[in-house]
Amino acid sequence: MKQEQEQALSDEFLNAFVDDQLDPAEKSRTIELIEQDESLKARVCELRGLKEKVQLAYLQPPLPVHATEKSWLGGAPYRQALAASLLLALGSLSGWFAHNWTGYTSDREIMRLLQAVQRNDLGADPRKLMIHVGNANPVRLSTALDEAENLLAGSKRANRPIRVEIIANGGGLELLRAGSSPYAQRIAAMREKYPNLELTACGQTLRNLRARGVDVRLLPNTEIAPSAVDEITRRLKQGWGYIKV
Amino acid sequence: MKIISLICRSHEFRKQLEQSRSKLYRVAYSWCHDAALSDDLVQETLSKALKSAGQLRDHEQLNSWLFRILNNCWHDHFRGHMEMEDIDEIEDHRCVNPYTPEDAHARNQIVNRVRSAVSLLPLGQRQVLTLVDLEEFSYAEVADILGLPAGTVMSRLCRARRTLKDLLQELAPPQSAQVTPLRRVK
Repeated sequence: MKQEQEQALSDEFLNAFVDDQLDPAEKSRTIELIEQDESLKARVCELRGLKEKVQLAYLQPPLPVHATEKSWLGGAPYRQALAASLLLALGSLSGWFAHNWTGYTSDREIMRLLQAVQRNDLGADPRKLMIHVGNANPVRLSTALDEAENLLAGSKRANRPIRVEIIANGGGLELLRAGSSPYAQRIAAMREKYPNLELTACGQTLRNLRARGVDVRLLPNTEIAPSAVDEITRRLKQGWGYIKV
Repeated sequence: MKIISLICRSHEFRKQLEQSRSKLYRVAYSWCHDAALSDDLVQETLSKALKSAGQLRDHEQLNSWLFRILNNCWHDHFRGHMEMEDIDEIEDHRCVNPYTPEDAHARNQIVNRVRSAVSLLPLGQRQVLTLVDLEEFSYAEVADILGLPAGTVMSRLCRARRTLKDLLQELAPPQSAQVTPLRRVK
C-alpha cells in the first residue's frame, strides 16, 4: 500500500508540491505521506534545496557594464528635463550669437546702402557732391570714377552745372598717386573734359606714408586736405552731398 | 478629468515597467548568462511593452505579459543571431572547455556553480526552471508565457531539476582528501 502511494507520487507531482501548485486537499495529503516516509522526505528536501540554490544563484545577477550611463538619463524624469533644457539653452544661445553675427554684417551692408543713397538727401545741395574712396580695391576705385563720370556727364547733358570732388584716403589714395595709379590717363581725360571735377588727397594718409619712407607723388592738380575726415565734415557743413564707394 | 486619469495611469504604468526591470533582467540573465545581452533584451522588452501598452487589458497580468514579451525578444534574438535546428534542444556551453582556471575557481563558489549548471541545461528546460524558481510563476502562467501546454511545462521542469542535480554533483569541487594539507613544522 505504502509503495503504491510512493509510486503514485511521481517526480512531477513532488515538483508541483515544492512549487506550491497543488490544491489544499492534495497538499495536506502529500504532507501526511511525507511525514511517514523518510525517502520521500529526502526527495522533497533535495528538490527544495535545488530551488533555493537557483534562487540564490540569481539573487544578484552581475550588472551590465553601462548600467550607470543608463540610469543617468533613464532614472529620474527631472534629469531628462534638465538635460533637455541644457540642450535648449545651448541651442538658443548659439542661435542668438549666430543672429548677432549675421546681424552685424548685414548692418554694415545697410549702412553702406544708406550712405550710397544719401546723395538723394533732401537737405543736401544736389549740385555739390563728394565721392569718398578709402579702399585700394580696384573695383572701388573704378566705381568712384564711374560715379563721378556719370554725374558729370548727366549734368552736362542737362546743362545743370555740378561740382564733384573725389576724396581719397587710406588705400584709396592709390587712385591719385602719380606713377602707380591705374587710372591716371582716365583721370587726366576726365579733368580735361569736366573742369568742375576736383581731386583731394587726405593729408593724414600722406604723412603716414611718408613717415614710413614711401615716396608719394600725386597726380597734377590734386589738392591736399589736412585729413579726409576734416574735408568731409567741412563739405557737409557747406551742404555737400556724400557718397562712399 | 478623463485625461488626467489617463495620464496618471500611463505614469503608473511606466513606473511599474521600471520596477519590473530588475526582475526581467534577472530572468534574462539566467537564460543567457550574458550581462550585456540581458540588458539589451530587457530594454527591448520594455520598449515593446511601452509601444503595445494598449494590448494589456488586465493589469493584474502585467508580469506574465512582460515575461511573454521577454520570451519573444529572446527568440527574436536567436532568429537574428544564430542558426540552429531546435531552440529547445540546444545545449550551449557544452562545447566550451570547462577546465580553465576561471572555471576551477568558479566551481568552489556555490553561486557560480549553480549558474554554470543552469547554463548547461537545455534552453527549454532552463526557461521553465528560472520562471518557476526565480519569479514564482504558477505552471499555468509559465505555460502561457512560453506558449507551451501545461504538461510540457511540468515534464520540462522535472527533467530540468533532475539534470541540475546531476550537473551540480559533476561540478562539485574535488574532495578534500585529494588536497594535501599544509603541515605546521614548528
